[in-house]
Amino acid sequence: MILVGELSLWIALLMCAWSATLSFAGGRLRRTDLIVSGERGLYAGFGFVVLASAGLWTALLTSDFSLRYVASFTSANLPVIYKISAFWGGQAGSMLFWCLILGGYAALATWVNRRDNRVLMPWVTGTNALVLLFFVATTVFASNPFERLEWVPADGRGLNPQLQNPAMALHPPLLYLGYVATAIPFGFAIAALITRRLDAEWLGAVRRWSLVSWVFLTLGIVLGMWWAYVELGWGGYWMWDPVENASLLPWLTGTAFLHSIMIQEKRGMLRKWNVTLVVTTFLLSILGTFITRSGVIQSVHSFAQSSVGHWFATFFVLALVATVVLVSMRLKDLESPAQLEAMISREAAFLYNNLVLVGIAFSVLWGTLFPILSEWVRGTKITVGESFFNAVNVPLGLLLLALTGIGPLIAWRRASVANIQRQFAGPATLGVIAAAALFTLGIRELYPLMTWGLASFVAGTILQEFWKGIGARRTMYGEGVPMALVRLVARNRRRYGGYIVHAGIVILFAAFAGMAFRKEYDVTLRAGESTTAIDPFGRRWTFTSEGLSEFKALNRDVLTVALRPTVDGQPLPILTSEKRQHRDSRGQPTFQPSTEVGILSQQRQDVYLVLAGAIGDQAEIRINFNPLVAWVWHGGILMAIGGLIVMWPPSMRRRRQEGYVAELAPQAVAVSA
Amino acid sequence: MSEVASRRRFVQALVVGAGAVVAAPLGSQSAPQPSTPMSTDAYRPVLRAAKPGATPQVTDEQRDALEHRIKCQCGCILDVYTCRTTDFTCSTSPAMHRDVLRLIAGGYTEQEILDAFVETYGEVALTAPKKEGFNWAGYFAPGVVLAVGGIALTVLLRKWRAEAQLAAVRAPIAPGGASSLPGVSADDLARLDRAIREEA
Repeated sequence: MILVGELSLWIALLMCAWSATLSFAGGRLRRTDLIVSGERGLYAGFGFVVLASAGLWTALLTSDFSLRYVASFTSANLPVIYKISAFWGGQAGSMLFWCLILGGYAALATWVNRRDNRVLMPWVTGTNALVLLFFVATTVFASNPFERLEWVPADGRGLNPQLQNPAMALHPPLLYLGYVATAIPFGFAIAALITRRLDAEWLGAVRRWSLVSWVFLTLGIVLGMWWAYVELGWGGYWMWDPVENASLLPWLTGTAFLHSIMIQEKRGMLRKWNVTLVVTTFLLSILGTFITRSGVIQSVHSFAQSSVGHWFATFFVLALVATVVLVSMRLKDLESPAQLEAMISREAAFLYNNLVLVGIAFSVLWGTLFPILSEWVRGTKITVGESFFNAVNVPLGLLLLALTGIGPLIAWRRASVANIQRQFAGPATLGVIAAAALFTLGIRELYPLMTWGLASFVAGTILQEFWKGIGARRTMYGEGVPMALVRLVARNRRRYGGYIVHAGIVILFAAFAGMAFRKEYDVTLRAGESTTAIDPFGRRWTFTSEGLSEFKALNRDVLTVALRPTVDGQPLPILTSEKRQHRDSRGQPTFQPSTEVGILSQQRQDVYLVLAGAIGDQAEIRINFNPLVAWVWHGGILMAIGGLIVMWPPSMRRRRQEGYVAELAPQAVAVSA
Repeated sequence: MSEVASRRRFVQALVVGAGAVVAAPLGSQSAPQPSTPMSTDAYRPVLRAAKPGATPQVTDEQRDALEHRIKCQCGCILDVYTCRTTDFTCSTSPAMHRDVLRLIAGGYTEQEILDAFVETYGEVALTAPKKEGFNWAGYFAPGVVLAVGGIALTVLLRKWRAEAQLAAVRAPIAPGGASSLPGVSADDLARLDRAIREEA
């Protein structure tokens, strides 16, 4: 099976080259036989990538240490779940995983659209096959997971302990599913540019795929934050690490696109801008991959340096140049009617929202690359850390939060003063009252105060929209509130799904602001000793140590400390934190010791316990009170749910109804005339 | 300037720009990396003689805040405070912490301690670049880009609005058409249109 997998990768390479060549030729010559052959080549290419993946999974599960990859990232005593997830735990395997997802997406896009968009599809298939060809070629020639060792070791090195976490079994796949999905809209954009079919035809498919990408990226990013929080042990969930930034970049431009596409759908405007955003989102995902894999920027996530970086840099430049040339050749075709009735309109609000999103993307990219630029210009290495990114991005984030509330309430084309007063009076009052109340309660920090004030305002706008919609349904259909709510969302998924996404954003921002009030305590405790701490809400906590203990688990030695917490005299469940030394099947240590934190999660705050070290029978412990962290996860999940509602296809009955109405419409016009 | 020539210049500028952006990382990639994750030999002592009659000028809270501004040199991306209090395996951050304590005991101020670390390790010892010289570009570029983008967008939107207003004015005076604007006759609009055309 392993040999089959290895050979399959080579055949997949040929299939992708075949598919790209014949699809482009078929599109150019308008020959159906070539087009169909190109499509089949892509399906076959995907099939062989699946075989190659099956080969690698077989090697991982059977611990075939003759493969360098298997020996480097697994050991015989590694739990099965992590043998499976080791597939994407290293450079070469994750490259193959990327091919697997891209192949699946490309085949699906071709299959679903093969009967529609007949002019576009050969070029879409060809472009997707070309991108897949690049990834398969990089896997085969620069980072091959089937590379064999000259001798077979008795055991493997094992998987990095920090990757032995359930979140890491899910976080990379979700992130890859999001990253890779950006390639499909890119394929459609290139096809539309080549064929000059730049009207609304390509937008439907592009919007769906962009939503797929957005939902997976959202889930992947939030799950990554959760993993960093529970596994890395430094007490936070976002560090502005270059690899974290790399995942945020396409999310930001993708979000901008999902807003600006509405203007093109409604008004036919912004063709150039939308094509640019689609292409930029894909290129940023490639740039992000380059940053992750080249080792060019120091990061806790970095894969080892390898020639893969050069491959990605080359591909990035070629894709950028090809796209720029193509766009410049089609500037006239991309001209669109650009008229704006009023500066205060939803179109204008969405465009300013786009500006802020792209501005944040620029600032994140700028901060990420600035150390390189500094070294290039001044010859001096510098660090651009959390304080820099927060200084630049927090004000922009607040601006974005304000626009999240403003945009949806302003009418398309033109908003009257009366309309604005009617829409904003309630939410604005709510925002001001919330900020004033928090100020009265003693909160003086500017950014948290602004964040919660704005969050209240945006929450007010969302609630108001739901309230109006539910009220209208109750009046028209006499429905109860729960039924009216369900049907309101079901009948207008794009609009109310979008509001649910916004609600998730509000919760997320409010939770981010909570971390401004985190408290940290460093203590040293022997068994039976206690320490007291005051949390950000002014409550008195007592932690009594149950002492240190050592034990052996499946593939590790564990040193653990247990604390018995009470808050205002009320006992709570025991908290434990561990230091783990992982060992291979022969008992040899693998990797450096790692930390498992103890978390007591409540809605108002997390109590976060870290065993920093031990001196004799004394445990060195860090206790953090992290306010509102649970709401980060709630907000992230709500955003993804909202995204799923937006992208959920309409029911067949509704589609039939829409078609029926469309058929009736001309007759109705004729009768009335 | 013909359309083809301007397009060529547009493409050339973008290619040169992209080349510059990509050349920089490739150049630095070939350079030796200063430290790899968990480098054990990255620590360098920051030694300064204690000031005469030295008394500590930094409180414990200020010390912790100061250590948040100094980057651990073990190869992680954490600051000294966070690294030393959470990473048992790192020997660099505790050593850097001891240097901070020694300098505080020696009567040095927060800024003097930061300067001492920069002298020993270079600017890479700071978690954020100093606000001076070329580094200002790092701080200001996002704001400048956003401001320029905001102005450009506002100008563009005003232009689009002007075009929309012009179209609205012209629409009613098509041959045989009647004014759709209340209180304004087709003749009035025709005169206005002529005046606008003449001004243009």
